Amino acid sequence: MLRFLATKLLRALATVVLVVTFAFVVLRVSGDPAMLIMGAEAPPDAVAAFRTAWGLDEPLWRQYIDYFAAIAEGNLGQSMRDRRPALQIVLDRLPDTLWLMVPALLVKLLIGIPAGIYAALHRDTWVDRATMAFSVAGYSVPNFVLGLLLILLFAVNLRWLPSSGSETGWHAVLPVIVLGTAGAGILARFTRSTMLEVLGQPYVRTAVAKGVAWHRVVNWHALPNAAIPTVTVIGFMIGSLIAGAVVTESVFAWPGVGRQLVIAVSQRDLAVVQVILLLVAASMTVSNLTVDLLYGWLDPRVRTVAPKEG
Amino acid sequence: MVGIGDAVETAARPSGWRRLRRGLAACPPLVSACALWLAVAVGVALVTELISPYHYAQIDLRARLQPPVLLGGEWRHALGTDELGRDVMSRLFYSIRMSLLVALLGTAIGAVLGTMLGFLAAHFRGWIDDLIMVLVDFQASMPFIIIALSVLAFFGSSLTLFIALMGLFGWERYARLVRGMTLSAKEHGYAVAIRQLGASPWRVYSRHILPNIASALIVNVTLNFPEHIILETGLSFLGLGVQPPLTSLGNMVGYGREYLQSAWWIAVFPGIAIVLTTLSMSIVGDWIRDRLDPTLR
Repeated sequence: MLRFLATKLLRALATVVLVVTFAFVVLRVSGDPAMLIMGAEAPPDAVAAFRTAWGLDEPLWRQYIDYFAAIAEGNLGQSMRDRRPALQIVLDRLPDTLWLMVPALLVKLLIGIPAGIYAALHRDTWVDRATMAFSVAGYSVPNFVLGLLLILLFAVNLRWLPSSGSETGWHAVLPVIVLGTAGAGILARFTRSTMLEVLGQPYVRTAVAKGVAWHRVVNWHALPNAAIPTVTVIGFMIGSLIAGAVVTESVFAWPGVGRQLVIAVSQRDLAVVQVILLLVAASMTVSNLTVDLLYGWLDPRVRTVAPKEG
Repeated sequence: MVGIGDAVETAARPSGWRRLRRGLAACPPLVSACALWLAVAVGVALVTELISPYHYAQIDLRARLQPPVLLGGEWRHALGTDELGRDVMSRLFYSIRMSLLVALLGTAIGAVLGTMLGFLAAHFRGWIDDLIMVLVDFQASMPFIIIALSVLAFFGSSLTLFIALMGLFGWERYARLVRGMTLSAKEHGYAVAIRQLGASPWRVYSRHILPNIASALIVNVTLNFPEHIILETGLSFLGLGVQPPLTSLGNMVGYGREYLQSAWWIAVFPGIAIVLTTLSMSIVGDWIRDRLDPTLR
């Protein structure tokens, strides 16, 4: 168990180091931030002062080490546009994103999982087909197209709901529908196929053959085993909450982290992009690690058998 | 030598292609309809110049924001015009071409890159394998849109970079798949036999192992392609993908959004084209998967 824990922690750490390296490479080596910010016709001494202030004239390996040190201290730099600490800018936007994403996550779980289980238990009925059709649509219709169609219907034509902004709770309805339905479809499909796989296992057949009541087979034999892979998908959904918000927040002009990222990218605001990148990496790593540990707890096979394929 | 190899190969290869061909005859109507749309879209992309009534950037300021023909517009602009008087239908055709091109190139680059890296990992094992798998893990654990946005922000957005970036999307799934399947295929009798007959590794992988894992790869391509369309249109929608004056489906939806109140047709027609394409590809892909590999269901 200790060894299992150690490997997982080491892996999580490796991911974080890789992301930080990626951020460093992309954000520092790609262009000259001094030129980007100051413009080509800025006076040379102003550019030089800027470079010194941001440590841009140091050798690259030196910048790389400083970069790690700065992140470890929680010093993530200032927004190059308005001089506020980048971390602060992003954290200010985080509650708005959570206001969208937590309800959306609940919609996904409360619709997706029951629908998937029901579809698997009633295979080839119309409910099953409807669930599958819904989930194919969930995969295929991009969030921004669904969002615009909903705006066109509910905001422009019917005038029931506001199309953009975040002043009242009503503003959250359309974005939550967009985010929730797409995710629910994906989750339903995954739950269904996992459940079907479990229902075909010998231990389910054995339980049925020895006369265990069907609802007991489902609740005690099938569901716990089907839950194991489903946990992975849910973990990925939680970890990618911020990333999932990028497009939808932009469609509805919702002032969250995702929209902030798009704005920062188009303004080339290095520090803000980097904070969001690290935030996403941290949330992915934490949720992956939690899933791995949950796995070890739910499924004893994972911790005893050395996880080495091939 | 080759004869023995081929004989063993034929025996080992599942009759996927024959099943596919037989299945084409009994293809459900929905799948046929989807395949038809994909064929139309590809057709439009191939002969865009011939069928577009106007050039996609041709401005006509006297005919701005004209509605489509059934809503009081004229046949001159069957799907209406945008805020600069550009013909929506012509822009739609050029956009379909651009979006399909970017998605196809992206999918192809990802598939080839991932397959090569998967073979490399399985062939060399050791630190090369470890390195490739660390990269796979990294990419699998980060939402790709975040990686894409960071890269686009700091390299600026050029079409070449954009396509290269699309090629990086999804390679890790091919790499993982190919590595796993190659490792198990290497232990199969046919691969061992061919190697002992003196075939080069390249020959073993390209002529013998690749055909055996091809059906899984094709399934992955069909799953990957709609995601490429969604990523391309999404980034272009945000104004960070294909840049004006070039046009793509996402790009059109993006600026059409500003005119949703007054001229919904600018955004709705490309939006429908996106949904039809991704939906069709998913449905056709699901069907191909069920044909080629019933166990994946």
